[in-house]
Amino acid sequence: MNASAAVSSLTNIRLVNYPSALMSEHTVAPTAPMFAETTMEFPYKHSTGETIGRFLAGLRDQRRIWGQRVAGQGVVVPPLGYSEATGAEGGEWVAVASSGVVTAVAIVHEAVEGLHPARAPFAFVLVKLDGADTALPHVVTGGLERLRIGTRVEAVWKPDGERIGSIRDIAGFRPID
Amino acid sequence: MSALRNVAIVGFAQLPVVGRDAHRMSTEMLYPVVREALKQVGVERDAIDYQVSASADYMDGRPFGFVAALDVMGSWPPRQDLHLEMDGSFATYYAWLRMQTGEVDTAIVCGHGKTSEGEPERVLNLQLDPYYQAPLGLTPTATAALQASAYQARTGATDADFAAVAARNRTAGARNPDNQVREAATADGLRHTSWAVEPLRRGYLPPVGESATCLVLAAAGRAETLCDKPVWIHGVDHRTEMQSIGARDLSRSPGAALAAQKAYAMAGLGSARDVDLVELLATNPAQELIVCEALGLDGHASKPVINPSGGALCGDPVMSTGLIRLGEVFRQLSGRAADRAVPGARRAIAHAAQGHCLQQNIVWVLGSERRWT
Amino acid sequence: MDEPPKEPVKYIDAEVRLPYHYVAGDYRARYLRALKDKKILGSKCSRTGKVFVMPVVASPESFAPCDELVEISHRGTVTTFCVVNIPVIGRTLEIPYVAASVALDGADISIFALVQECKAEDVRMGMRVEAVWKPDGERHGDHEDIQYFRPTGEPDAPLDSFIHRL
Repeated sequence: MNASAAVSSLTNIRLVNYPSALMSEHTVAPTAPMFAETTMEFPYKHSTGETIGRFLAGLRDQRRIWGQRVAGQGVVVPPLGYSEATGAEGGEWVAVASSGVVTAVAIVHEAVEGLHPARAPFAFVLVKLDGADTALPHVVTGGLERLRIGTRVEAVWKPDGERIGSIRDIAGFRPID
Repeated sequence: MSALRNVAIVGFAQLPVVGRDAHRMSTEMLYPVVREALKQVGVERDAIDYQVSASADYMDGRPFGFVAALDVMGSWPPRQDLHLEMDGSFATYYAWLRMQTGEVDTAIVCGHGKTSEGEPERVLNLQLDPYYQAPLGLTPTATAALQASAYQARTGATDADFAAVAARNRTAGARNPDNQVREAATADGLRHTSWAVEPLRRGYLPPVGESATCLVLAAAGRAETLCDKPVWIHGVDHRTEMQSIGARDLSRSPGAALAAQKAYAMAGLGSARDVDLVELLATNPAQELIVCEALGLDGHASKPVINPSGGALCGDPVMSTGLIRLGEVFRQLSGRAADRAVPGARRAIAHAAQGHCLQQNIVWVLGSERRWT
Repeated sequence: MDEPPKEPVKYIDAEVRLPYHYVAGDYRARYLRALKDKKILGSKCSRTGKVFVMPVVASPESFAPCDELVEISHRGTVTTFCVVNIPVIGRTLEIPYVAASVALDGADISIFALVQECKAEDVRMGMRVEAVWKPDGERHGDHEDIQYFRPTGEPDAPLDSFIHRL
């Protein structure tokens, strides 16, 4: 059986265990464990294509959020250029509002350093912008106490000159009363 | 539907799930498990016609690292081999499919990977599209929490409901020596653990764990020589859903529902309530309730027994977690489930899921009798 | 405006950064630590007696366990090799350099090694080489404890002594 670091049975933290009894006796005798640490880093430049590229240009240059009307889904925000439901090519561009309704809330209390977009506590949300049929995943950093499913939120834009053509040109959303 | 080839699970071996095996590489964990599985069915490696392995190079931190497993699966003389960057339950589908062609009669399916070597929260962010979702830093616990939130909004499920599901798994899991978490817990106790990502508490989520697993399959004609009680596959189907989480109804799993519908039809199973036990893969209670609904089960009912093994909450080695569900069904239906046996079990459902918010689902129906005669 | 800008944003930059915490495992840990003592270890197949370096848990060929560790000679034969003219990211190696597959005496699997202390054009199949170690006190029990291999000056090994190890 495993010997393990003493841990409360109510919490699930990463355990460092001694190895379990080996199923085969045919192995070298155990020796002091040896570890190695490596960080893999890859810089990527992802081609965006026409639809995603123009959507991002809309954020950067127009401070506008665009959707696309596609078969089987309605107005898709953010658009991909095709329907994920039917595979059909995306249709006309439809401007949607920069505000809408929160349809899901996840409040992060243990932020993953270097990956999560803010210090804890902050929230990831799904926002159904007015005019869209799909929800946009994004972030809420302030006003968490007012944040619920059904709360109306509006986009907070990065200032002119700081928007680069990224989904983070929208800095986040904030609750509006 | 026309008859398919009867294929059975005839053996299963796994290492107990641990937080980190500090003494063995992934392949060194897998080797004894493959040997054990073959020993169980009493054959040498050359009696196995096909091998499929399941692991994820990104989780392992080794590009093309999966090929190392060939060295410990008995790949010489040259074997017919397949690898999936998916959980072993999905890999089993491919072994089953190949056996349907009649080209192979026996197969091993192996799950491997040391989850402790990578950081799943970072790695699995990369499963999301790089344009709209990954750049937000969405991690699997966060997307799972969004799903749990959506589920609560639709159904009114509460924190107490989640705690009850988690406690049920923890209590069952205490009887399974292969689990990483082997202490029972109360709903009240779990409700007092801290938030990871609201509405999911730490106590509702599995710890990082690793294992190695090997399932042995055989077609009718061979299965009976390898196992006293083969567990026959009656039906299987798998489905995948849309990539954009905002385009989905996260409160439901249409993928699991459709896979269940198709698998039940193949199996001639009228309702999920007609089986004796269900082993489903859910890494948090909201997922479990969503999958139960999709499978046509009441998550709070006592029959069929759900997750007598303790489920993924008690041991989640990621690439093997779904394979373990199949292995547990094998143990239950072949009389090898010891203290956690569901008495008289003759039919079961096994489910597995992968990807953010249950994006991909596979549903199996299994039984003690052959499906097609 | 009834459409987003005509000119799309062409790329997005994504910096993937993944930390990993590897376990060496008892076989590799023993092998690496032995290098500090100027020992090269292999593991022996319990069925065929073949010796694998670095040591492995099982023979990929026979599927039998390799639970016995054995010491391997520091000397061996160059089997196949190549002369590299392209710099390697992350290493400072003088170009051109020779990368060789060296069949160590006593092992059945060859290792990859740098061959130095000779001109690249002098390296040949069958050339006898020996390990050059970091001095005592500078070895840490890692793969850099062997700096490279150099010719021993022995007569070349006959082809039939290593042809099966290519």
